[in-house]
Amino acid sequence: MIYTELTVWTRGIIMDKEGRDIVNSVSASARLEGKYAQAMENYVDNPDRTNAPTRKYCRVSDQVLENELTYENERPNIVVLVEETMVKGWDYMRGMPPGGTLVINTHYTPDYMIRFVPGAERLAQLVCVDAAKLADHKWLYYRLGQLGLDRLSTEGAAERSKAVAPDIAAPLIAAVVKSTGIVKRETIEPMIANKKAFQMAFDELHILPLKPVAA
Amino acid sequence: MSTKGTHIPEWLKVPFAGITPAPTQEKGQDLFPTGNWRFIRPVYRDKLPPCNNACGTNEKIQGYLDLVKRGKYLDAYALIKEDMPFPSVTGRVCYHPCEQACNRGQYDEAISIRAVERFLGDLGQSLPRDVVKPGKPNGKSVAVVGSGPAGHSAAYQLARLGYKVTILEKSPKAGGLNRGGIPDWVLPQDVLDREVQRLVELGITIKTNCEVGKDVTWDELKKNYDACVLAVGLTEPNSVRAEGENKEGVLYGLPFLRDIGMGTSKVKLGARVAVIGGGNTAIDCAREALRQGAVEVTMITVESDKQEMPCVAEDLHDMLEEGVELVHGRAMTAVLGNGKVEALQLYPAKFSGAINASPITINREAAAERFAVDNVIIAVGQHASLAWLPQEFKNERGTIRIDRFGRLGDTNFFAAGDIVQLGSGQPLMVVNAVGDGKRVAFNLDKVLKGEPLEPRKITVDVIMDLNRMNMTYFPHFPRVKQAMLNPKSRRTTQDEVIQAFTEEQALEEASRCFSCGTCNACDNCYLVCPEPCIARPARSNGLYKILVDYCKGCRVCIEECPTGCLEGVPELDFETGVVRMDTAFAISPGLHGRQAQELVNLASRPAKEI
Repeated sequence: MIYTELTVWTRGIIMDKEGRDIVNSVSASARLEGKYAQAMENYVDNPDRTNAPTRKYCRVSDQVLENELTYENERPNIVVLVEETMVKGWDYMRGMPPGGTLVINTHYTPDYMIRFVPGAERLAQLVCVDAAKLADHKWLYYRLGQLGLDRLSTEGAAERSKAVAPDIAAPLIAAVVKSTGIVKRETIEPMIANKKAFQMAFDELHILPLKPVAA
Repeated sequence: MSTKGTHIPEWLKVPFAGITPAPTQEKGQDLFPTGNWRFIRPVYRDKLPPCNNACGTNEKIQGYLDLVKRGKYLDAYALIKEDMPFPSVTGRVCYHPCEQACNRGQYDEAISIRAVERFLGDLGQSLPRDVVKPGKPNGKSVAVVGSGPAGHSAAYQLARLGYKVTILEKSPKAGGLNRGGIPDWVLPQDVLDREVQRLVELGITIKTNCEVGKDVTWDELKKNYDACVLAVGLTEPNSVRAEGENKEGVLYGLPFLRDIGMGTSKVKLGARVAVIGGGNTAIDCAREALRQGAVEVTMITVESDKQEMPCVAEDLHDMLEEGVELVHGRAMTAVLGNGKVEALQLYPAKFSGAINASPITINREAAAERFAVDNVIIAVGQHASLAWLPQEFKNERGTIRIDRFGRLGDTNFFAAGDIVQLGSGQPLMVVNAVGDGKRVAFNLDKVLKGEPLEPRKITVDVIMDLNRMNMTYFPHFPRVKQAMLNPKSRRTTQDEVIQAFTEEQALEEASRCFSCGTCNACDNCYLVCPEPCIARPARSNGLYKILVDYCKGCRVCIEECPTGCLEGVPELDFETGVVRMDTAFAISPGLHGRQAQELVNLASRPAKEI
């Protein structure tokens, strides 16, 4: 069967909610569009540690999802890195079929970032969005020194705010939707709390088109 | 929970949990390299301490204070000698811009850097041989005209570079302004003699009674030497252009001090002496006048109060302690008397700030004051005497025209010290002249070697600010005071006023140094790291190493670094340095495979080894 896989790599505790918002909103919109979709988190990764890597998954298909109980996305078409440094640390490209999309939250350009991507020849596009800046996020990582412990921003975020994508998730969702068309903008936009950042990201994406070769 | 689809490599299937080595153990950090949790990497990056930056010759002050703190006095002395030929002199006479810049001054009291420098200088004087050796002879000869601070410094650095140096000094004794401008009770003659002797030990020839323009001409300098450094200083005193300035009993500041310093003075001062001027030379003249037998000494300045006087505040304080009177806001317009000074005519005056006209405005409508004196010493600055210099190298300030490297046109002549710094905005102080001499010596070396001249490259460009350091580690601690002679007894003797530090005092004072922005191997990062991520083969600056494969970037070491030399640098600025993991929590096959293989072999190893 054919379906689109979206894997979000994020950091434990401090950006956990951002990752969750991306997969949840995309799969919810897909269902509204009449598709079959599911979203889940990976607790194997033990997300309850600051900065530790953790993954969120989403699958969208026009047909019934047969392997609903499979935990990981084995062949992700779209990979999102919620924090830019993750680009160095893991093999997030593993299993990606040719023609995939990589979305990174960074203030660097795609031309700079591509040197860190393993197996970049499989990518159809590399998308960079400065989500932290667009969302005017207070724990902008390069301001950590001034902010001290405030960086634990999304710890307990679900208790503080039930809004979907109030922060850096909004520009990242915009990046995914605009570059891949996995769901329609009209369906997903009403769910997003930070509409301003969502709108700005649509205008300010850095997309590097690439020519994928079969891995 | 299903693990279907999860990639589980062969080597992960070995049941080794429970016997994995801890991160503190050998290879323990290979098992689970958490370096990719990090987005800020701690990096040791030394910054420039403000003292080092403020010093006229950029002495490595933090460096030698740290060495003194550890009891390595000889190393400290050797370090100071890299930039400063005579720490025993500057340890007594320097106006210590380093102490004004000291970050500790904003916290409690600045470090007494000058006193520690004097301690080291005196230690160097007591050595039978100096730690500095002349360079390998390169067969080239250089003449240095003038043996004042700039000439002394240039000759010293050139000898270290291997040049055959000859100093030409017009006075009967070498030392220049150090001898002729600084009184004995600040800098005893034998201290200076010893420093001059050190130059001779370096192989430098000193020709005294040899005046350029008289005993040796410009063309002879050009012909007999490969290059020449002109450090002739400002020798002629300025006059105040008052009526009757040529009367007997009118003295000028610098010649007055110079004659006493050279031992050729025939001056007998009367009981009442007035000093005109408010600078450092004027203060020295006033205090020297007391020691030469004057009973009442009055200093007359145009400046309206003490704060405006262009002098070192400490010296002013010491002068007032000795009983010198101050009269502010007056200018001398005439010297009255019948052939000899009997009184001065004073008018109220103030600085007008004019640049092209006289900078002093005298209020002639006010009533003139008559101020009875027996002698007046005029100390209002100096100018150069450059009749011997070809016209093309003179500039509008009456000094030598040089380029930014201290060179005269494209000749092999260089100039340094007050003769080029007058009017340039640089303070005319000993340490600035020493720095100037040093830089010119290095530039001269480049020219003779045929290398291109380049502006000085600054390796460390950030000057450390107090706010970037961790003050928790520095308790308040008062500055160690230098003992001084009693003002009543010292005002009539030539004994040194300020006393030297003992070893304990020097040690205590050096221990107060913050080591601003420079790693001083305090071991704090090593101790506070919650993971054993900082390796320390030996306790020394530059030898700490961050184990980047394991460091999670928690910033504890950065926040806790007392000196602020640790910085957080975004991880993406480095192209390498992180172990890329296969899955979120699984290690690369290489590392695990190696470890797994060892564990497989465990059973066959003898129990003793395990």
